[in-house]
Amino acid sequence: MPHYIAVYLDDARYEKIKGTPLEEKITYLFGGQLKSLVVEVPEDKSEKILKAFEKARIDSRGYIEDVPVAFRRALFEEIAKAKSLDVIDKVLERLDELVEAAKKEDEYIPPPDIE
Amino acid sequence: MPLIKTPPPHGGKLVESVVKKRDIAEKMIAGCPTYELKPTTLPDGTPIRHVYREIMSVCYGFFSPVEGSMVQNELERVLNERRLLSEWIFPYPILFDISEEDYKALDVKEGDRLLLMLKGQPFATLDIEEVYKIDPEDVATRTFGTPEKNPEVVREPFNDKHPGYVIYKMHKPVILAGKYTIVNEPKFKEPFDRFWFPPSKCREVIKNEKKWRTVIAHQTRNVPHVGHEMLMKCAAYTGDIEPCHGILVNAIIGAKRRGDYPDEAILEGHEAVNKYGYIKPERHMVTFTLWDMRYGNPIESLLHGVIRQNMGCTHHMFGRDHAAVGEYYDMYATQILWSEGIPSFGFEAPPNEVDYGLKIIPQNMAEFWYCPVCQEIAYSENCGHTDAKQKFSGSFLRGMVAEGIMPPRVVMRPEVYKQIVKWWKVYNYPFVNRRYLDMKNKELEIDLPAMEVPKA
Ligand SMILES: [Zn+2]
Repeated sequence: MPHYIAVYLDDARYEKIKGTPLEEKITYLFGGQLKSLVVEVPEDKSEKILKAFEKARIDSRGYIEDVPVAFRRALFEEIAKAKSLDVIDKVLERLDELVEAAKKEDEYIPPPDIE
Repeated sequence: MPLIKTPPPHGGKLVESVVKKRDIAEKMIAGCPTYELKPTTLPDGTPIRHVYREIMSVCYGFFSPVEGSMVQNELERVLNERRLLSEWIFPYPILFDISEEDYKALDVKEGDRLLLMLKGQPFATLDIEEVYKIDPEDVATRTFGTPEKNPEVVREPFNDKHPGYVIYKMHKPVILAGKYTIVNEPKFKEPFDRFWFPPSKCREVIKNEKKWRTVIAHQTRNVPHVGHEMLMKCAAYTGDIEPCHGILVNAIIGAKRRGDYPDEAILEGHEAVNKYGYIKPERHMVTFTLWDMRYGNPIESLLHGVIRQNMGCTHHMFGRDHAAVGEYYDMYATQILWSEGIPSFGFEAPPNEVDYGLKIIPQNMAEFWYCPVCQEIAYSENCGHTDAKQKFSGSFLRGMVAEGIMPPRVVMRPEVYKQIVKWWKVYNYPFVNRRYLDMKNKELEIDLPAMEVPKA
């Protein structure tokens, strides 16, 4: 059974995929106010993710949760670049780099760029 | 039904043990032996409690009628029946603990006055009434209960993963019991200063400035999302002939768990709720109490009742999993206490129906979620579309926040979110981490004016 990761889109992210085929794949929560894309992750790949990040877990709905911020950000970057949800391999190629970045997340997470 | 009025302080009279006149304070401390306050820490050095917070809460009357560190008989009564020697109900041991080594070095005895120093300055006195020893682990176990002795609500034995249990377990074994008096009034730093409303001041503001006859208290240790906001708004519909006039948010400020939000973001996040009109400031006010949270669910709810009654609230809202962590207690333990009592903890009836009990009125509340069928934030006891519910879960929000995604305004108000980001930029981290705990332990929420200790 595949697992899933939800990628939430704020306005800044939405701008980056607007007008692409991804727009049709958006699911809406909270009365349409929260947009998300759901990435399907085959089981052998979700195992890799769980192995790489010790806090990561699968919740009762089959969603992969508690993965590092670096991983989530990379996932969206690849989606925006490829204009496709079929990017999990691309993200896994960067796994070593992401594991390194995740180690620093107990100390530092870059703040978002708002006033 | 008669109109509800502000209840008296718990125990009848507010404790106010703060000496404001410098000359009197100097006379009190002349020639006293001194002791610099130390944090309670985990074996790895992580600070988990600072007794200064308890001294502040006692002396400014938040914990009325408690006046200081408890004598042994009182500790036993609190652990066995949750009653003080004066009969008034009280949930937690309040203790001034020091190590054997410190006790030997201090060489103090019953009848002595000890001057407690904080950040190198005189802070408070402890008039020693009794010196005794405790077994901290036994105190910790009895404070929170066990599945055997408290089968009504305790589901799992407490252990080192429970932050409140660990606080008591890490207490030092020698207890100096006696009354505290603050002799050098601390000054709160920003932003704490504008949320500091000790009970006497808070009562005055409620009565004369806000002119609220009925006030419902909201307990928080969180930056509010819209689920919290709905809880406040809807719980406040209780009252008497009309909804409660005021909503008093009282944040618990002290050592926190990693992953919680920083205290500053909690206070300014709640303030943003009124500042930006989600609940008008005429109806909503933000305050705090210094206390290293013990996460004692029903036991903690009793302390919350004591504090907020002392602050002048008529009602208190309680959600499920109130002040809880893990699955040690039944998720409805607090609501069970306030609706029928918990005999094994000394409550044959709810805390507001026993002799020497509280006068604050509980308002037990269920859950709020977003329902796409109702197209509104729905109350779990109204909405029948349980399968469609979209929950305001804390971990879902923390994930979004960490990723730097601005939550939609139906989940968290943008102005509230901006307070998280503001403090994120200050501490380079959106949540409590070890660095924040160490910084906080060093800086505390206050500064102390310089004061000389006169020779006797
Ligand atoms: Zn519904």
